Amino acid sequence: LTIRAQTDALRGSLDLIILKTLSLAPQHGWGISLRLQQTSKGVLEVNQGSLYPALQRLEKDGLITSEWGTTDNHRRARYYRITASGRRALGEELESWKRFAAGLDAVLRST
Amino acid sequence: MSWIDGARARLHLLFAKHAAESRMDEEIAFHVEMESQRLMREGGLSPDEARRRALVTFGGVTQHKEELRAGRGVAWLGGLSLDFRLALRMLVKYPGLTLVAVVGMAVAVAIAAVTFSAIYTILNGGLPVSEGDRVVAIRNLDRRIGNEGRQTHLHDLATWRQSMTTVSELGAYRIVDRNVISGTGPSESARVAEMTASGFRIARTPPLVGRYLHDDDERPGAEPVVVIGYDLWQSRFGGRLDIVGHIIQLGDTKHRVIGVMPRGFAFPVNNRLWTPLRLNPAAYEPGHAPSIDVFGRLADGASIEDARRQAVTIAQRLAAAEPATHATMRTRVVPYTHAFIDNAEATWTYHLIQALITMLLVVIGTNVAILVYARTASRMGEIAIRNALGASRRRVVTQLFAEALALSLIAAAVGNIIAHFALLNIDAALMRIGGEQLPYWLRVHLTPGAMLYSVGLAVLAAVIVGVVPALKATGRHVRASLQHLSAGTSGMRLGRSWTVLVIAQVTIAVAVLPLAIAGISNWRKQQSAEEKLAAKKVLTATLFLDPDTASARYVALRGELMRRLEGEPGVTDVALASAAPASEPAERTEAEDKSTSVVYGVRIDRRYFDVLDIPVLAGRAFEAGDVTGKTTSVVIVNRSFARNLFAGANPVGRRIRVAPMNARPANDTLAPAPWEEIVGMVPDFPVDSTTPEPRVYRPMLPSDAEPATLVVRLKGVNAAPFTQTLRELTVATDPMLRIDRIKTLEQNLEDESSATRLFIIVVELVTLSTLLLSAAGIYALMAFTITRRRREIGIRAALGAGPRRLLVGVLSRVMAQIAVGILIGTAIAAFLDDRINGGWTGRRPQVVLPGVIALMIGVGLITAIGPARRALGIQPTEALRAE
Repeated sequence: LTIRAQTDALRGSLDLIILKTLSLAPQHGWGISLRLQQTSKGVLEVNQGSLYPALQRLEKDGLITSEWGTTDNHRRARYYRITASGRRALGEELESWKRFAAGLDAVLRST
Repeated sequence: MSWIDGARARLHLLFAKHAAESRMDEEIAFHVEMESQRLMREGGLSPDEARRRALVTFGGVTQHKEELRAGRGVAWLGGLSLDFRLALRMLVKYPGLTLVAVVGMAVAVAIAAVTFSAIYTILNGGLPVSEGDRVVAIRNLDRRIGNEGRQTHLHDLATWRQSMTTVSELGAYRIVDRNVISGTGPSESARVAEMTASGFRIARTPPLVGRYLHDDDERPGAEPVVVIGYDLWQSRFGGRLDIVGHIIQLGDTKHRVIGVMPRGFAFPVNNRLWTPLRLNPAAYEPGHAPSIDVFGRLADGASIEDARRQAVTIAQRLAAAEPATHATMRTRVVPYTHAFIDNAEATWTYHLIQALITMLLVVIGTNVAILVYARTASRMGEIAIRNALGASRRRVVTQLFAEALALSLIAAAVGNIIAHFALLNIDAALMRIGGEQLPYWLRVHLTPGAMLYSVGLAVLAAVIVGVVPALKATGRHVRASLQHLSAGTSGMRLGRSWTVLVIAQVTIAVAVLPLAIAGISNWRKQQSAEEKLAAKKVLTATLFLDPDTASARYVALRGELMRRLEGEPGVTDVALASAAPASEPAERTEAEDKSTSVVYGVRIDRRYFDVLDIPVLAGRAFEAGDVTGKTTSVVIVNRSFARNLFAGANPVGRRIRVAPMNARPANDTLAPAPWEEIVGMVPDFPVDSTTPEPRVYRPMLPSDAEPATLVVRLKGVNAAPFTQTLRELTVATDPMLRIDRIKTLEQNLEDESSATRLFIIVVELVTLSTLLLSAAGIYALMAFTITRRRREIGIRAALGAGPRRLLVGVLSRVMAQIAVGILIGTAIAAFLDDRINGGWTGRRPQVVLPGVIALMIGVGLITAIGPARRALGIQPTEALRAE
């Protein structure tokens, strides 16, 4: 694997994780990173700052939208929300991810 | 994402840059704060430590910010703004070039924007009513005489109304001039639109108060009614709401007001009074009815082409049915506003003017391009080094383009500002001269289209000025350029096109300069205080009577008015002429030796010279015997006339006659005009005209009934109050007698010279920019030559060549080019001067032409000083060290 492919794969899976997280409920950036840490039980330890370029990219592609909102303790925060095309993309990505994982699994089992 | 979407997003982001930055900062701050609080809560850390750990987990804040910015596309804009910063620095660094290029291009842009705006307004000025573009004018044109067939319109209107299904409704109007007399204000003269009721329906503008005309109002014998405009309602009736029912007298008829039209409505031409059109075709011979104009609104779904086709069919039918009047008649359907610019030829002329102006722009653009090219040439070393250090060709070209764009955008801005003020002046002049005859929708101003056009031109100029030289400069082998750099010379050349350009510029400057100089000297010409005072004391006014009135009655009423005027205490004397001083029509006159000249002719009564204080210099004034009979054969000429046709000799006793204005066609059988004898000579009057004009005065016959100009000499200099007295006296003499164009002689002269003055300003601006450009061109050429031949100069100097030989050797070519330009330019100027009777040089060719040559040589020498000093400063050792 080249370095470029690695970054692409990482970037792709980060997108997938963000979309999955937002498909449950709208969330702000810190909330997404917190949830990421909790659900992966610390396995996926991403650099928290790299979340924001990914969010911006997804927003530019029209997969998520954002707006200002207020947190439970009355702080102003930018909330991200998945769009219809975001949900479609998530479905497709999940499908292909599952196929890829299954394929990889099959290959790993046979050797 | 397409290129356009990308550009739009970037543009949006450029303006949203600030918002995006603050959003980014706020999000990151929020994140770090929340994370620190979590760490404090869950890990029991101190606030400082929690914050440090949160920042570490977040990663490099600056790096993420950069990544976010890159994602927004601001990085690219950052690069571009660097280019613009560099460009602005270059503009400041080369102030001479900046000034020359900006002035040159700004003048060009101003001229282009003015013509574009004016032409656009004239050609595309839409009728400001609902769906005004669907209103059309229908008119007959007589093919045979290429003339209007408006006298047939009244009879054809009924046919058109019946048969033209492509036009939903037809209307007609004619403009009549009437005195407006009402108890509530001074009487004044106004252009009244006699219009069919359908005209209001076609204009689709509801009245503000009361009603507009109904078809019933057109019936013969119906009560005379009038609809008034908003401004008249305000000025005469103070906007009172019970206006309906009031009486306004128009000429000799009292009209009842039935309604007020809203502000800004002045359809069909520029009117504020509307009365019903009551012309009965049966009362007139076919083809000899009063002239009316016909218009209509296209039916739903019909195009103007459909209407044209139908009009042609109907015209053919009419030609067969009524050959006497319609055999050679052609029916045209044109957009309503086009009826006022008359014909296709005019449209064509406007487009030709625009094309010529665009060519002027291209010439100026090319000129500036070459100047910038020369500068780029001097920066070859810099470009080569940037190239060698890894700057892509695109990057270098972008930078040079940005420099050129900055230059041309500044020029476009300056040009548009000049154009704006010029158009304000033109509009004011049009309003003053055109008055109520100027269609109300024709208001010239700087149109958005013109501004867009000039920005487009600026970008185009930047491409010519920046990209082309840049491509040339970067297209060469970097190595070769680097070699030249070490040798201290440039590898670029200026070819033949440059030579032609320098010659052409010098030629144009020399050819146009005399006119500019003559213009300045005329502009400066001031009247003496005495003459100014006299011009304030003389009032001129034109007297009209309805065309239907017999001329004998007009002459009688005119005589009556003059008698009443003489009885006025403020009046010294009254005279009569066929035109106001300085507004005489032009004609061509022929002397017995066949020499001809364009002169201005006017018929005057015997008191004219006395009223204007014009002394007779030679011969005699007109006498009682001169005006008996039907024709006259004696004339008086002015001094300019004698100078033009008789080389200044005493003209008394010589004979002249009127010659055709243009070359006579071969089949012309008109007999030549009879000879007239010159019996006297007077000085040039008025003296303030821009160039002294030859004039010929003929005695006015008592039967001359055309609209005549009254020349009234007042006792005091305050003419304003007398203007109203004059109006009231005229109306009192007869309500149908109208007086208009009341001006003092001073105002007359001012109006006459303002157009000339505008023209002179344009000529001077163009000349100045040409002169600047050619001076800059000569400078660039010399500087460039010296740079290129540095080594050669060094060798020559080393071999013992003196300064003179050095300069002659190096600069001979440039000097030859300037000389050629001066020669051709002088020849052209002399030729033009000869053709227009010395008007080009203000009749002093022997002074002006050598002056121009000296000026051009001076400009050449001044621009040569810098490069020459540089050439002489070249040290042989220094120049040769590079070897």
